[in-house]
Amino acid sequence: MRATRAAAAAMLLALSGASGCALDAGADSGSITHRRSLAIGVKGDQPGLGLKGRDGRYQGFDVDVATYVAGRLGVPPGRITFRTTPSSQREDALRERDVDLVFATYSITAKRKTQVTFGGPYYVAHQDTLVRSGATGINAVRDLRGKRICAVNGSNSWRRVTDERKIAARPVPVPDYRACMTLLASGGIDAVSTDDLILAGFAAQTGGGVRLLNAPFTDEKYGVGLRKGDLAGCEAVNRALTEMYQDGTAGRLLKKWFATSGVSYTTSVPQFEGCS
Amino acid sequence: MTTTPTTAPATAPATSQAPPARRRGRLRTFARGHWLKTVPGRIRACAALLLALLALLAAVLTAALDNARDGVQTIGHDAGPQVVATGKLYFALSDMDAQVADILLIGREQSLGIGRQGSLRRYEQRRHEAGLAAVQAAQLAGHDPKRQRTVQDVLDGLGRYQQLVGRALLLNDQSDHPAGEAGADVLKIYRDATDLMRLELLPKAYNLTLDSGAVVRESYESKRAAVMTGRAWVVLTGVLALAGLLLVQLYLAREFRRLASPGLALAALAAVAVVIAAFAQLTAQAGHLRDAKDDGFDSVLALWRARAISHSAFADESRYLLDPERADTYEQVYLDKSLSVLYVEPGPGRPVNLGTYYTALGTALSGYRPGRGGFLGFFGDEDRRAGGGTGRDALTRTLRAYAAVQDNDRTLRALATGGDRAGAIRLRMGTGANGAISAFDAYDRGVDALIATHARAFDDAIAGADGGLRGWRWTPLGAALAIAALMFAGLRPRLAEFR
Repeated sequence: MRATRAAAAAMLLALSGASGCALDAGADSGSITHRRSLAIGVKGDQPGLGLKGRDGRYQGFDVDVATYVAGRLGVPPGRITFRTTPSSQREDALRERDVDLVFATYSITAKRKTQVTFGGPYYVAHQDTLVRSGATGINAVRDLRGKRICAVNGSNSWRRVTDERKIAARPVPVPDYRACMTLLASGGIDAVSTDDLILAGFAAQTGGGVRLLNAPFTDEKYGVGLRKGDLAGCEAVNRALTEMYQDGTAGRLLKKWFATSGVSYTTSVPQFEGCS
Repeated sequence: MTTTPTTAPATAPATSQAPPARRRGRLRTFARGHWLKTVPGRIRACAALLLALLALLAAVLTAALDNARDGVQTIGHDAGPQVVATGKLYFALSDMDAQVADILLIGREQSLGIGRQGSLRRYEQRRHEAGLAAVQAAQLAGHDPKRQRTVQDVLDGLGRYQQLVGRALLLNDQSDHPAGEAGADVLKIYRDATDLMRLELLPKAYNLTLDSGAVVRESYESKRAAVMTGRAWVVLTGVLALAGLLLVQLYLAREFRRLASPGLALAALAAVAVVIAAFAQLTAQAGHLRDAKDDGFDSVLALWRARAISHSAFADESRYLLDPERADTYEQVYLDKSLSVLYVEPGPGRPVNLGTYYTALGTALSGYRPGRGGFLGFFGDEDRRAGGGTGRDALTRTLRAYAAVQDNDRTLRALATGGDRAGAIRLRMGTGANGAISAFDAYDRGVDALIATHARAFDDAIAGADGGLRGWRWTPLGAALAIAALMFAGLRPRLAEFR
């Protein structure tokens, strides 16, 4: 009988131990919920959205939104590490766990959704066009026929004018958007066409001399990139974004970064993509 | 039973203050553990251990069944109605704006579409439905402040929307224009109205539906895991109880030189039966939850979203014809919506625009084989999920109808850009055999039928789960009591030998 009782006690102990382990390794492992710290991927070269300063600190709308969302996930600013994630590396950075979240003008597309789980969008930007403030006769994308537009290396935006909309503009190759702005000011090109928030960020930086058409012709859904399959994290991000719009933070941040550029922006919560 | 003779003597005297001498003597005997050395003492100890195990078995089984019940409640009885209510809200709002666009588009030409009066009636009816759905959504939102706030925002916005529409309709009536020639003042107010609807109200209604989906996923994952863990616990406690019963049987056989006690043998058989039945029931519950979510709820939600987005894309065709200044924007959002419903690769090096979309869509759908569509978007997901089973034929029919809707779109835009706006408007507002409205309605019926097949799968799974759970309400307690009774029936004659 002693042996029986000892065996029974041992089995009970083993049982509770085993089930304890099983519960700890539950469904949330690998999710960005309940994390002590977060590494967040942002752009480093886009004024107004994600710009890395000389002191190594990042600032911009994306950075502020990321900080707010991390706060709602229980991670204070002091425990966030921002990293520059260029457009071509965003999927790899998430997959290889270099970053936990991406807030980097990351448009949600059906193709990207096969590799990344998207929270949000936290904002729906639109492709728009920036011209010199003196330029008359350009009021919509169709007016770009025959005009010199910026063709930034590696960017798809100018193709949306020439290939997708089949408008016979003349692309001028340039290395990056900063160079576009210089050329626009000096008269080397007539227009820059890309996401309105990117244009607004540059326009706010140059402070005058340019005009945003406010004639949008695409929807760019800026999503929050998460590792594929982190649905709990994605839903938590969406709840945080809902709150960000409800408590007025989103409106305040949009005003802070883009009000001076003259871009018209929406301060109502966007239609979410749904976590998948 | 876990009282150990080494620690008990220190605590036992302290807890009993000045008890009668006889009771103190008994306690001391108990604490010293001498009673364990007697045969009846050991039998009683075993009985107590077995009782504790049976109680644990009943508790573990009850907890597992409770988890299943919670899961079925959330997935089957709370979230389902919420998706329906918020879905109705979205459709009502979306259709209100579509009706206004149609009224402004057809102007004085009453023969187009369902005519001005028909559209006005439908607008009123949808407004009424939106109000009812909002009230229902608010009730179902419960105590969640974020959801309550979202519903309230939609209602506030709806008030502003109706004011704008009232002004646009008034100006429109005064101008009495031919189809497709609404005045600049009318369009200016309509732009504010449709922006309010499309950029503020509809996203909120849509997010409410997504939120119900999140609640279901969370509940499904945690409750299904809990049911599976509970099942493992039931097996382990059941095996322990069974082992205990068998050991007591062996002990009695040795001490009393009897082959078997019928009571104990029956108790062991009953324990085996209960554990097997409980295992089967919990497995079935986990299966019902999985079927309800994977075959039912997920598809219903995804298809409902596809349907909502298709409706608003169809209204974007009206807006494209109504407001030439914004035609580029409305064409682009139409493309974006089409891509999210069914995404096809335009081919290497080719841009993504409506032209390449029509071509790639034609190729993908003409050679369509269920389960191997090779496209993405909502219908891509549905093809992977349902290609082999539930709703396969309905999906094939729906995809054919979708191709017809896109064919009309291609013709409509070709007419409009080729200068025949009147022809484009006639096609868009056509309710006859070759009209865009009839083709869209056929497509919409297809999606609806597809939703209905999955809704049936969902209802079946939930009904199965409910039925199983109803039968098991008192089973854990009853089974434990029955086994205990059989066990005592087996032990009593042996204990009686010592009186």
